[in-house]
Amino acid sequence: MQNLVQILVDAVALGSLYALVALAIGLVFGVMRLINFAQADYITIGAFALVVPTASVSPPLLLGALPLAFMVGGVVTVVVLLALATERLAFRPMRGSDPATLLISSFAVSYFLQNLVMMIHSGRPKSVGIGNSLSAAIEIGGIRVPGTQLLTMGVTSVMLVAMVFFLKKTPMGIQMRAAAENFEMARLMGVKANRVIAAAFAISGIMAAAVSLLLVVQTGTLDVRMGLMPVIFAFFATVIGGMGSLPGAALGGFIVGFVIVALQAFLPPDLRAFRDAFVFMLVIGFLLFRPKGLIVNRAARERV
Amino acid sequence: MKTAELPRWQAFVQRHFAVLFIAACLVVFVAVVELFASVLVQRVVTEALIRIVIVVGIYVFTGNSGIISFGSVTFMAVAAYATGWQTCCAMLKPITMSGLPSILRDHTYPVYVSAATSVGLAALLAFITGLILMRLSGLAASISTLAILFILNVTYSNWETVTMGTASMVGLPTYITPWLALAAALLAVLCAWIFQNSARGLLLRASRADEVAAAACGVSLYWSRLIAFTLSGAIMGLAGVLSAHFLGTVSINSYFLNLTFLALAMLVVGGMKSLSGAVVGVIVVSTIIDVFRRIEVGIPVGDVTFSLPPGTQELVLAGVMIIILMFRKDGLMGGQEFRLPVRFLRQHRRSLEAKDT
Amino acid sequence: MSQPGDITLEARNIHVAFGGIHALSGVDLTVSRGIVQGLIGPNGAGKTTLVNVLSGFQSPTRGHVILKDRDVSQDGPQKMARAGVGRSFQAARLFQDLTVSQNLMTAAIGTGLGMAAARERSESVLEWMELSHLAEQMGGSLSYGDERRISIARALALNPHFLLLDEPASGMNDAECQTLMRLIRDIPARFECGVLLIEHNMEVIMGVCQRVHVLDGGRSLAEGSPQEVQNNPDVRRAYLGDDAGNEAA
Repeated sequence: MQNLVQILVDAVALGSLYALVALAIGLVFGVMRLINFAQADYITIGAFALVVPTASVSPPLLLGALPLAFMVGGVVTVVVLLALATERLAFRPMRGSDPATLLISSFAVSYFLQNLVMMIHSGRPKSVGIGNSLSAAIEIGGIRVPGTQLLTMGVTSVMLVAMVFFLKKTPMGIQMRAAAENFEMARLMGVKANRVIAAAFAISGIMAAAVSLLLVVQTGTLDVRMGLMPVIFAFFATVIGGMGSLPGAALGGFIVGFVIVALQAFLPPDLRAFRDAFVFMLVIGFLLFRPKGLIVNRAARERV
Repeated sequence: MKTAELPRWQAFVQRHFAVLFIAACLVVFVAVVELFASVLVQRVVTEALIRIVIVVGIYVFTGNSGIISFGSVTFMAVAAYATGWQTCCAMLKPITMSGLPSILRDHTYPVYVSAATSVGLAALLAFITGLILMRLSGLAASISTLAILFILNVTYSNWETVTMGTASMVGLPTYITPWLALAAALLAVLCAWIFQNSARGLLLRASRADEVAAAACGVSLYWSRLIAFTLSGAIMGLAGVLSAHFLGTVSINSYFLNLTFLALAMLVVGGMKSLSGAVVGVIVVSTIIDVFRRIEVGIPVGDVTFSLPPGTQELVLAGVMIIILMFRKDGLMGGQEFRLPVRFLRQHRRSLEAKDT
Repeated sequence: MSQPGDITLEARNIHVAFGGIHALSGVDLTVSRGIVQGLIGPNGAGKTTLVNVLSGFQSPTRGHVILKDRDVSQDGPQKMARAGVGRSFQAARLFQDLTVSQNLMTAAIGTGLGMAAARERSESVLEWMELSHLAEQMGGSLSYGDERRISIARALALNPHFLLLDEPASGMNDAECQTLMRLIRDIPARFECGVLLIEHNMEVIMGVCQRVHVLDGGRSLAEGSPQEVQNNPDVRRAYLGDDAGNEAA
């Protein structure tokens, strides 16, 4: 019983993390039909902004040395600026290209950023001690919950709620939803493309910054590929949820998180190394039965 | 009699000029390299020829259907391991890969048998995954090809007793000469050409241009896409066999995202809508890579050595790819195949007309 | 030679709703082989939606599409095309980076022909439309008028029993329009098919069609010979009255 609750806590924590990443990807996809591989590098670069660029495996802290509020603010600023820069320099000139071209260009942008990080920080994984105090477990009603899990759940739930509020109540958020529902129609109705798209990138940057800080606190390591797996899982979360649907993306994120934790817990030990392969197989199996995902976006079908 | 045959010969050359031109260039190039260049250059050229097989393999599916495949190198890895199991290290196999079935563990097979079965296995796997993936819409299918890549990578990285995990399998016979690589490249190019000029290829290219209009023409894409994906898998398998027996080693992480990126960059730079573009992309990008690799190592200019920091080559490549996508979306070839120069045709026609009158 | 009227494509009581908007409410229409049938109505009358329903691009919310006594309401566009329902679009939608002859061959192959037979059919359609000189041009390089003509040729390359043309003459000048309409008039006899022709312009349609169906606000307003329709008071009101007269160009 206790064990099961433990698993559930893990699942919610991981699921909400993936929901955050998936929502960021879903937002950008909604406003410009771009599936953004570079989201992975936003996460990575946010984490690397914490340390001074050196080849050392335990580098001195940069932003990470600041008091908490400034550290968070600094990382968010760096990542938002990065997201806006990629939008302005790489993706804006390609707006209106077909989704396949956009997809491949984001793959190129991602590769560029990843190699840039490698050039500046060297390719070796690094250790960084931030939020060590949080790794101590806290006991709630006989269940030991690691502090990092609590932090993750806290941060992600605040952000998800803020996101829902933003999308439902603010003019910009409403425009974004309209664009995601029906891109052409939103355009015709006077949604200002430049502003809405830039805003979507900025938000995806904020989310990436949050995810990178959470990952650093959880693992205590930096790696040039640390953003890759969350983003790949988030891609599938958006496909499972139904491309072009924001609630679908969040839902898909939770599903993927739950599946991963469940497999980790219930697979026989000698198969656990293959966990991710099973996750992807389940994804493909799911798509076999629901090729359009859980929430089908009706406007996604091209108007004749 | 001669005048009657001449136009037919001309029509043939005109229709298949792209593939004839590519073949002629490659043959001449390899001949020159074989005769005059150092062993090192020969290796670079062989590598480039193998890349042609890789990129043409991806082109057969991605170029014709317009669906970006991130998963094609999966089939390369499958074939590379398959040929490794059949041909490598008879003495070590029972120890390092004890989990192999006896038929592989305790036997060694001739290289051509192993090449054929490995290509067959890659094609079979592509067919089976295609059965599922080709039901999806374009973008979802693209993303799902990534799943295939990750499934294989995770599986082979951890299947210690069969694949040696992330360690390299070494000791494969290295029998790939420039001529053999050339033959494989020509075979790949020919297969791609035949497919794109077939009925299935035409339907796919129509759907790439306008899926709605294609539907109104009665085109249903599932089988055409599946056939293209399977053929693509077979060619990728061929590329896997070539690379395995060129390097003599196989390791799973050399068939992952970096190779996928490199291959897609080549396809984009040349232009993914034409076979000529695929081949041109390989040659241009291979040249860029080689030049920057040399500069990274250091080029002596007078007394000082000029060099760029390692990693420059990757940045340049990504930069080139982005710029091409921005300013010349259909790549250097602009989506066109090589054509017989118009001037030649006009002259030829004029001389024919002169003969008639 | 088949008898005119032996096989029909029928819309029976078709309703289509998008969200709360009713694009079509209870439309009945029959397209017969051997004739050109006009479909007219002001903007937003539901003409294109009806063509989408008849060609399988839109499944009706209620009602049935009947082809040769079979209910095909839920068949997709591919099935409909192969069953002999060809269509054109308001935009030409040619395959830009295929040649004209490849554009036509795609349709021919779509119906199950091999390469050689498809090429033959493409050549014969182009020849009949006097467009053979365009065969090797790229779809994306054509002039506006040629683009529109080739899009009709492509639909004909399906060898359809029924051909649905969505404003084929839009954007053409008077002379071009006249030529095109003469051509359309000859299609039923040459291809043994029925034509449904969407057109804004009442005069154009009067010269070509044997029957005319009028849609207004998603409902059938009238049907009959051009003369009958022209003299129908409801139609006159829709076209000349205050509420819709300004839209009917």
